[in-house]
Amino acid sequence: MKEYSVVGKRLPRIDSPAKAMGQAKYAADLVLPRMLHGKVLRSPHPHARILNIDTSQAEGLPGVKAVVTGKDTKGVKFGGWRAFTQLIDQYPLCMDKVRYIGDEVAAVAAVDEDTAEEALDLIRVDYEPLQAILDPEAAMKEGAPRIHEEVERNICWSRFIEFGNVEEGFARSDYVREDNFSLQTQAYAPTEPRACLASFDHAGRLTIWTSTQCPYPVQCQLAAALGLREGDVRVVQPFLGGGFGAKFELFPYEVCCSLLAQKTGRPVKMMYTRQEEFSASRTRHAMKIWLKTGFKKDGTLMARQARAVLDGGAYTSFGPTVTFTAGFFHTLLYRLPNYKYEGYRVFTNKPPSSGMRGIGAVQPFFAGETQMDMVARDLGIDPIELRLKNARQPNEVIPKLTTVNSCGLSECLTKVGESTRWHERQSKLPPGRGIGIACAGQQSGGAFNWFRTRLAFSNARVRANDDGTVVLFAGAADIGQGSSTVLCQILAEELGVRFEDVSIVAADTGTTPVDIGTWGSRVTFQAGNAVRAAAIELKKQLFAVVAPKLNADPVDLDIKDRKIFAKGRPEPSMPFPEAVTAAQAANKGKILEVAGSYHPEGKGIVSPAYSFVAVVAEVEVDRETGQVKVDRLTVAHDCGQPINPMSVEGQVEGSVHMGLGYALTEQVVSEKGEMLNPSFLDYRIPTALDMPEVKIIEVITDEPEGPFGAKEAGEGCVAPVAPAIANAIYDAIGVRVKDLPITPEKVLKALREAQPNS
Amino acid sequence: MQYPRRLPRFEYLEPKSLTEACKLLLQNDGKARVVAGGTDLIPKMKRRDVNPRALISLHGIPGLETISHSQVDGLRLGPLTTLGAVESSTIVTERFNVLYQAVQSMASSQVRGLGTVAGNLCNAAPSADTAPALMVLGTRLKLISPQRERTVAAESFFAGPSATVLEPGEILAEIQIPEVPRRSAGVYIKHTLRRAMDLAIVGVAVAITLQDDTCHNVRIALGAVAPTPIRVPGAEAILKGKGRSGDLFRRAAKEAATACQPIDDVRGSADYRREMVEVLTRRALEQAWDRCPGSTEGKR
Ligand SMILES: Cc1cc2nc3c(=O)[nH]c(=O)nc-3n(C[C@H](O)[C@H](O)[C@H](O)COP(=O)(O)OP(=O)(O)OC[C@H]3O[C@@H](n4cnc5c(N)ncnc54)[C@H](O)[C@@H]3O)c2cc1C
Repeated sequence: MKEYSVVGKRLPRIDSPAKAMGQAKYAADLVLPRMLHGKVLRSPHPHARILNIDTSQAEGLPGVKAVVTGKDTKGVKFGGWRAFTQLIDQYPLCMDKVRYIGDEVAAVAAVDEDTAEEALDLIRVDYEPLQAILDPEAAMKEGAPRIHEEVERNICWSRFIEFGNVEEGFARSDYVREDNFSLQTQAYAPTEPRACLASFDHAGRLTIWTSTQCPYPVQCQLAAALGLREGDVRVVQPFLGGGFGAKFELFPYEVCCSLLAQKTGRPVKMMYTRQEEFSASRTRHAMKIWLKTGFKKDGTLMARQARAVLDGGAYTSFGPTVTFTAGFFHTLLYRLPNYKYEGYRVFTNKPPSSGMRGIGAVQPFFAGETQMDMVARDLGIDPIELRLKNARQPNEVIPKLTTVNSCGLSECLTKVGESTRWHERQSKLPPGRGIGIACAGQQSGGAFNWFRTRLAFSNARVRANDDGTVVLFAGAADIGQGSSTVLCQILAEELGVRFEDVSIVAADTGTTPVDIGTWGSRVTFQAGNAVRAAAIELKKQLFAVVAPKLNADPVDLDIKDRKIFAKGRPEPSMPFPEAVTAAQAANKGKILEVAGSYHPEGKGIVSPAYSFVAVVAEVEVDRETGQVKVDRLTVAHDCGQPINPMSVEGQVEGSVHMGLGYALTEQVVSEKGEMLNPSFLDYRIPTALDMPEVKIIEVITDEPEGPFGAKEAGEGCVAPVAPAIANAIYDAIGVRVKDLPITPEKVLKALREAQPNS
Repeated sequence: MQYPRRLPRFEYLEPKSLTEACKLLLQNDGKARVVAGGTDLIPKMKRRDVNPRALISLHGIPGLETISHSQVDGLRLGPLTTLGAVESSTIVTERFNVLYQAVQSMASSQVRGLGTVAGNLCNAAPSADTAPALMVLGTRLKLISPQRERTVAAESFFAGPSATVLEPGEILAEIQIPEVPRRSAGVYIKHTLRRAMDLAIVGVAVAITLQDDTCHNVRIALGAVAPTPIRVPGAEAILKGKGRSGDLFRRAAKEAATACQPIDDVRGSADYRREMVEVLTRRALEQAWDRCPGSTEGKR
């Protein structure tokens, strides 16, 4: 393992003190002079035509400053899919139709929130209710009513993947099985309900402070929706209280808020309520997966075929990516010669589904890793051995899709097995207790240019001052995952200065260079590479000036702990501040500032690198009530070189927590398109008391494409939790639940079906 | 769907005595509500489930948050006694443990710091956790109005979901829990999906008093499986005067499951609830019996 000075250190995050002391300002905390408050009127119907909207009474209410409806907008659709314009399908305010309960119909700005809400009650909307289509399989049927007029059979996006020959693969298999899996709708439920504050200056330029994961894509989409030039829109991200993919796109309320600010000439703030955050934002795709797999008797994987139907909700959102990755992830973990996938994302009259932490991964991994356990039992092979036999190895190509460079999957499996004394305990625990394993992998950012940006995916600028301080300007958005800290660590390491010398300005399109945003576990990897490139460039400029003074060739110079010296010869040396002063002087006082960028060029169509993880779950099942108690989760995790191990552990624990809820308790329950549990009381995210002991084992690999060998760490550990728990339940009581969440009721039902007479 | 809104306008009244509070309630002719901790009422108002013209706060009246105890009167709780205060009272933990079990299973410590036992009862949710526990403790409720004062047994207090026998102008003024006989124990089992911050799918409370080796008295109450929290006298009768027997526990549990009338909702199906009543009643009976001082199990 390489020795680093700042990278790999357990440094506290730079934003922690402000958050711990309540000083961090989130979008909802911001206040501007003369600020108005905005509210959105939402559709009460899952599917209806808008016949007429009468806002006159609302406009007449004292304190109301503006009311906007679809007619006041430019009437252009927006969305992130600039590479496929047919997928851009959301209006800032509905024009002729509402497509889910919560769809935006009108917006109001008033002197305070009470007045704005009162005004909403005074807006009269005449609807002609249409038949609501809530089941994706019904929506796909020929002749089903259309949710978007131009979309046949309501199929928003379909995706096919094929390599090898599955028919042949199955024919040559000794053992083939097919299973159906069903995955529920999960809510993102970030701690911070979203909010934004929009303000125009006298030149007609907009600044919006908003809870977003993606300032640059929001800037571009917002400009288009308002008919402004991108450069006339500045998007600033304040502190952000969690995103998980929910704050990844431009949202209608941000356009409404901007419109109201434009119309009134005053700043306008809008804040989601908790219920809006639950029911009028985004959800994780519910999915039905059919999976067929063939093996040789000795456990060699021969072929896999999968079909997925995704419940898309009312708009495209980030669904096409999920449709693709839900097919891709079946190919990642094991050497697979023959594969075929068809995925259909279907519109329904529900809140739009999108990419949520473990994007398009948790669903296929639940199916694949549960089925792997069934196969192991049927073939009489230990589940870890079966996985090891087929496990992906470093530097392998997945046909037509991607190349996997570093891969610690086998080591993860071995270590998690050792740590949990797997071989002594699997199938041997007392009745009601069980142990189960599952694996997953995750991309380190996307390689596909869905946003059709002409700029590199990540950019950074670095300025060195002659007092030895260094300022990093990065478009990358810290959403609570700790990226700003990690980027400062990468910069300090590469530049040979101390961590405390570096400060960061981030996620402000007015002052920081373009970054495509925080999604798909890309920031440490991609923005990290951009930062590192800038640091290398800065060193180059410094070394050119310093070399003659140290009687050395620039290529022989190095910098460590703020001192520049020739490699292998610590003295003479030049302190970093002196070197910066010299570089400035050599350029007539020009500031020393450089840029770096990263773009995943030629890295297939998925991602430049992949993390891997194996999880062992230990559970107790109450056979009379069906209740499952998870006692311990042991996680062996390959994220390359951890830049900040403490931060990685936080991400792993957070992921595991989300996976636990997905496995056992979390589910959006709706009736006729209406969410019945839009609160933290009724939408059951595990509490601190529900958390099992979590043991984390870091498996360190060196990813050639990653900054200092790093890969993703924020998402991958969500996916294996549910199948590991499901497999442990099987080990405990001998029954399988193949649809999530595994509620006590489903466990009892499965037990009853297994032993009809008890 | 109603999106929760900011609170609507209402008049806030702070009477200086319970009598005055009752009068204000009567004067406002059904358009006013008493507010204690507000943890049920305020969210309902935000959802516009209820729209009172006035809120009559009890917080201006001194001495309503009491927990008093004597051999003669037993335990008495005031209308503003919070769940949190009950939870941290040693007398409750030591002598009325089933109430402690119920209270500490509720909501979160923040909500317990605000919410009251009286509010939990008057809100009359079928799943109200203190109700089964108070029922098996033989609790009586003192109700006062400008015209009269009366006491009713806890199990006669509920009239349906969100409905009680409180008449216009009537306020729950005191919760009276008689002293618990010596060789007694109580158990409350709350069946939930999460271990905190969750409402009961099923709640089962049991209190048993032993005499020699037989059951001198037993009370069984169920929550979340009928329009109101209920007692199940049929199941109790099976055990009275009998010795400890797994078979009798099973029969009583089955009887409880037959007696309840659960419904399907977001938290669970009617069938599952009924089944859980049987499992958990049996478990609660076993545990309560064995916790009685001097029970065969307790002696071991
Ligand atoms: C997040 C959360 C979690 C919760 N979890 C649980 C739980 O696990 N179990 C559970 O049972 N409940 C739970 N609740 C509900 C609530 O907290 C309890 O019912 C609490 O005990 C209510 O007491 P309160 O003082 O807040 O009542 P309030 O809201 O003040 O009043 C409730 C009702 O009773 C009436 N009322 C109050 N006092 C009197 C009186 N003296 N005389 C006549 N009428 C009166 C009010 O007018 C109102 O209609 C939860 C609530 C929340 C918000």
